[in-house]
Amino acid sequence: MTSNIFEQVRSIASDLFSIPSERITAESSPENIEAWDSTQHLNLVLALEEAFDFQLSPEEMEKMRNIGEVVKVVESKISATKS
Amino acid sequence: MPIVIQPYRPEHEPAVQEFNARLKNGGAESDLVFYRYAEPRWLPQVDYGHLYNEYFVALDNGVVRGGYALKHQPFSLPDGSVRSVGYYHHPLSEGIVNKSYAVVGSFLLKDAMNRTPLLYCLGMGGYDNPLPKMLIRLGWSHCAVPFYFKVVNPTRFLRQMYALRTSTTRRLLMDLGAITGGGWAALKTLEAVKKLRAPHAPKVAVEEVEEFGEWVDPLWQQSKDQYVTSAVRDCETLRLLYPASDKHLMRLRIRRGSEDIGLAVVGERRKDAKYGSMRVGSIVDCLASPDDSLAVIRAASDALKQSKMDLIVSNQSHSAWCRALENSGFMRAESNFIFAASKKLAALLEPFEQSKSRIHFTRADGDGLPRNF
Repeated sequence: MTSNIFEQVRSIASDLFSIPSERITAESSPENIEAWDSTQHLNLVLALEEAFDFQLSPEEMEKMRNIGEVVKVVESKISATKS
Repeated sequence: MPIVIQPYRPEHEPAVQEFNARLKNGGAESDLVFYRYAEPRWLPQVDYGHLYNEYFVALDNGVVRGGYALKHQPFSLPDGSVRSVGYYHHPLSEGIVNKSYAVVGSFLLKDAMNRTPLLYCLGMGGYDNPLPKMLIRLGWSHCAVPFYFKVVNPTRFLRQMYALRTSTTRRLLMDLGAITGGGWAALKTLEAVKKLRAPHAPKVAVEEVEEFGEWVDPLWQQSKDQYVTSAVRDCETLRLLYPASDKHLMRLRIRRGSEDIGLAVVGERRKDAKYGSMRVGSIVDCLASPDDSLAVIRAASDALKQSKMDLIVSNQSHSAWCRALENSGFMRAESNFIFAASKKLAALLEPFEQSKSRIHFTRADGDGLPRNF
């Protein structure tokens, strides 16, 4: 997990869920962030698409079960775009 | 196994039936069922046409957990272009009866947004429902499309309008109004006052046509630029939307002298408990220059009156059509017919707050066709 992408994802999630970024870890998920419901999950996906300029599918959305997995999906999308 | 969203194919039909059964057994309302057949009965895609419906299902290891419909239709847009816009309708998720699938609704919408970024929703039953709530949280631009009604038969309206007869006092007052004729007098006086204040509508000739003809095309070309946006309503489109085989609809051609100034589609709505046994007519669709909207609304309204409707209803987004309804004796009531535009579509309609009263949306653009308009 690259720290740069993790920091960007953390910043997006912090803005979206209105919680300080230092409270967001790789294990943060809908289980421990109250504001992370299905609509906010979609908002997170849309914000990531805008920030990183790619499009995510519903299947990729579903893989994003915590911040760590969000970062993994973002990394894999970026590397797929580069290759 | 992740949930995947795929075009609805005939082999999914048994799984859709099982999905519908789970919704029913889970306590969902009886009208919440997904399409039984994979091929749309209304507007299937034919010969690469631009106006068509398609269905998608959310599959969880072969089990259907949701689905939605997407109508593709060309729209005239403010930049002068005509582009395909998607209408997202009939989304249904197992999340309504099983919280384990609460995320399916957002997956369905995301799938539609990926397929058609210029996307809108219309209808939705009011702001209290889950879909408009979700769209607002996603930052979609939205407004209620004004709803109007005109009472043709006050006695039956007072007796049968169950949506208003909600308390003993109301029922007594409405019955009293019906028995004494006071209600009739009040409603007719109100209508007469509205008409007296209205501008004079020029004399027009109204003809019921079996099918829309090529005379529609110049009318569409002259009218389209007077709306910020409108679904294309040329001859080819209207023949697909309102084929001659749809005998429950009346197609009206409105002329002033030798000039075609407008068209309207009217019909009787299906029976609905909130209207009791009243015959409810709907101004389903219409097209004209905004300046000619009064003549078209009067023609449509007269046609429904002559068909012995007790009540006439219409939803119109454009301020000129709203004024035309008011000047024809219609009254405005709270609307549950909500228009919501995706961020990409709304960006083309900017500034939305000013545009929303200059877009042309009617019942025909919503989820009510082909029968529930």
